[in-house]
Amino acid sequence: MSLEDLETQIRPAFLAALAGDNAAYRLFLDVIGARLRGYLRHMLKRAGRSEPSEAEDVLQEVLLALHLARHTYEPSSPVTAWAHAIARYKLVDHLRRTGRHSGHLPLDDEAFALAAPESQASDARMDLVRAMEGLPERTRRLIDRVKLQGGSVAEAARETGMSETAAKVAIHRGLKAMARFLTRTRRSD
Amino acid sequence: MQTEHLISLLSATGRPVDTGWLRRTAWLGAAAALAATLVLVVSLLGTRRDLATALTTLPVLAKFAFGGSVAAIALVLFQRSLRPGLPARPLLVLVALPVALVVLSAILALLQAPVEQWSALTFGRNWRGCLVIVPLLALCPLGIFALLARRGAPVDRRLTGLSAGLASAGIAILAYALHCPDDTMPFMATWYTLAIGISTTIATLILPRLLRW
Repeated sequence: MSLEDLETQIRPAFLAALAGDNAAYRLFLDVIGARLRGYLRHMLKRAGRSEPSEAEDVLQEVLLALHLARHTYEPSSPVTAWAHAIARYKLVDHLRRTGRHSGHLPLDDEAFALAAPESQASDARMDLVRAMEGLPERTRRLIDRVKLQGGSVAEAARETGMSETAAKVAIHRGLKAMARFLTRTRRSD
Repeated sequence: MQTEHLISLLSATGRPVDTGWLRRTAWLGAAAALAATLVLVVSLLGTRRDLATALTTLPVLAKFAFGGSVAAIALVLFQRSLRPGLPARPLLVLVALPVALVVLSAILALLQAPVEQWSALTFGRNWRGCLVIVPLLALCPLGIFALLARRGAPVDRRLTGLSAGLASAGIAILAYALHCPDDTMPFMATWYTLAIGISTTIATLILPRLLRW
């Protein structure tokens, strides 16, 4: 799929997501996630890292970053360019943190334009799980419930004895803390 | 955690998002930074004694225009640098315009003056003050811009630092113009430009480290 086609497909979904439509948001994350997975695997392979779990880790970090940076999207600009810029930033940051190949990776836009979508996920390593370990017990339980129930905050909130609004705020704070953890961590391998 | 689960989690907690917030906050922050810097100048340095008559004279207006245009261009750049996917670097050349204009006017002024006056025209009464105080004043807006930048997503942190430094220096010049007793173009072209260079260097060195995300 060309970048223009991708843009045509996900732009309405993302704009709806920004207005609060969670189903549209899910569609957007699924489609952009597959595309980014292809891109990240390709770029990491070029940097001499062909372990798919590493690409999955970076993908998760990118998805989290996209989520927390939604307010930085300029609605008149292409959403693919926005997502690509964030993915590239996180990829460079990942390569720098993990040591080798700091500045040598050519980061051309072509790779993103040509990347084939990969909907087949790999198992991630433990990064996100480790990031969750630092969260308050209640937030962790909340996040576990929501993700396993395929995303009903209302139900998870009731089970943990919180209001839905309080649950959303707690999860948002948790996600922010996880993103900070990932930025700070120096992965050893 | 599987990626599918992460997507479930993220889409479950989606809320309406205000994409205009960052822009509004940045302009508000810039206005607050200007106000704070003006207060610093008036309370710590005091205004020049002839301010009432000097305020509408060409040299003071030129200082306002110089500081204001550098700040405005840099602020546009700064805001764009906080939004991934917006091209910003090409706009950097625009900052050269006010600087070039001031340098050109300074050369013209020098050419019209006898050589014996060149030194006096350039060094003025207090070039050291300008060189030290403007970068110090610029730290106030710079702090505000650093806080603002942390709310954005700077994918080019050097550019964010650079544009924040330029904008801070522009604001500092706007405020310092109320105090600065030196009114020649060669003075402005030399010391104000150098002061902008100092502030921008400091910001470009420091901010990228504070803005990792």
